[in-house]
Amino acid sequence: MTVVEFLAQAEDLVSPGLSACQGCAAELALRTAMKVIGPKSVVGIPPGCVAGFGAPGWGLKTGMKVPVCMPLLGNSASLMSGIKQAYAAKDPEVRVVAFAGDGATVDAGFQCLSAAAERRENIIYICYDNEGYMNTGFQKSGTTPHGAHMSTTPSGSCSQGNAAFKKDLPLMLAMQDAAYVATLSVSHIPDFVDKLKKACEVTDGLSYLHILSPCPTGWGTTPELSIEYARKAVETLYFPLYEYSRGTFTISKPTLRAAAKAKPVSEFLAGQRRFRHLCEADALALQEHVDRKWGILSRLAG
Amino acid sequence: MRRLPIGRDGMYVIDTGSWRQFRPVVRQADCTRCGICLMYCPVNAVRMSDGEVSFDLTYCKGCGICKIECPKKAIDWVEEGC
Repeated sequence: MTVVEFLAQAEDLVSPGLSACQGCAAELALRTAMKVIGPKSVVGIPPGCVAGFGAPGWGLKTGMKVPVCMPLLGNSASLMSGIKQAYAAKDPEVRVVAFAGDGATVDAGFQCLSAAAERRENIIYICYDNEGYMNTGFQKSGTTPHGAHMSTTPSGSCSQGNAAFKKDLPLMLAMQDAAYVATLSVSHIPDFVDKLKKACEVTDGLSYLHILSPCPTGWGTTPELSIEYARKAVETLYFPLYEYSRGTFTISKPTLRAAAKAKPVSEFLAGQRRFRHLCEADALALQEHVDRKWGILSRLAG
Repeated sequence: MRRLPIGRDGMYVIDTGSWRQFRPVVRQADCTRCGICLMYCPVNAVRMSDGEVSFDLTYCKGCGICKIECPKKAIDWVEEGC
């Protein structure tokens, strides 16, 4: 069965009408991930865009066809670990999933996630990374790239946007020897589905999946170009796709193809409102950062 | 298998179809049924049945991703109300 056939026949486990922005890649990531994970699952969605657009429900209504709860911003990994341990005694086949944004993962939820990986809790932790706190007014998060104009790091006469560089959480969890770590992009759905299937097969520890999820509203792009920007992020090596399992890093095929003829990061930056103030020196700093991170990764993958 | 608990008041569903400014229309003659629009639709509004691609306009938000991603450019963009 091809990926398209699989996605066409799989049941959509999310409410058909949710108030995500037009062109929201997180909605695509949630629906596709749930098609692969299947109906025998329990989902936790902490505050963030996905909770805001109604996937955990609203009032006494629910937004998904599987049990879904809303942990606090910082404790998704702990709460889902507890739920998994209860199900491990009752029915070990139930998959317990956390679907958290970058703020609830790399900033507020990092301690819980790191501890859950250390305890080798058998949960699937998915982070959709839209590079900021996009549903509360575009504040900077730990994964906001260098130079981005956010509401808390505005560009102007004495600032050129975010001074810090993007925090590399998947690599941190790989260094912690989590059972399975992978980076995914909504622009490469066959690779996306393949990695989710692998994450579902893990039985002895935590699976961490980091999805780059373009945000038309926060990045200042038009809705129809969401997938195109995710693709550019992969092609410029800004967001390399790889997986880590049992001591081995494997660079995924789309990134291997891109690395043979990598495009400059400026192609990814062009057209995004959050980067429109960038001067050449800032773009160069970002390019150097991308090159350095890719150097580390390609050495790790041998 | 009993699929639910669903919330006491049922499922939370918003009429996202009413957001749409433009609607996608497939030119069946140019469509190769590759399914790329189905893969990338964030709302899961693309249907493939009997070898034909169609859109579920009840929930389609009109984001335009299918129009951009279609390798044959076989999806037209028609303004609503026209």
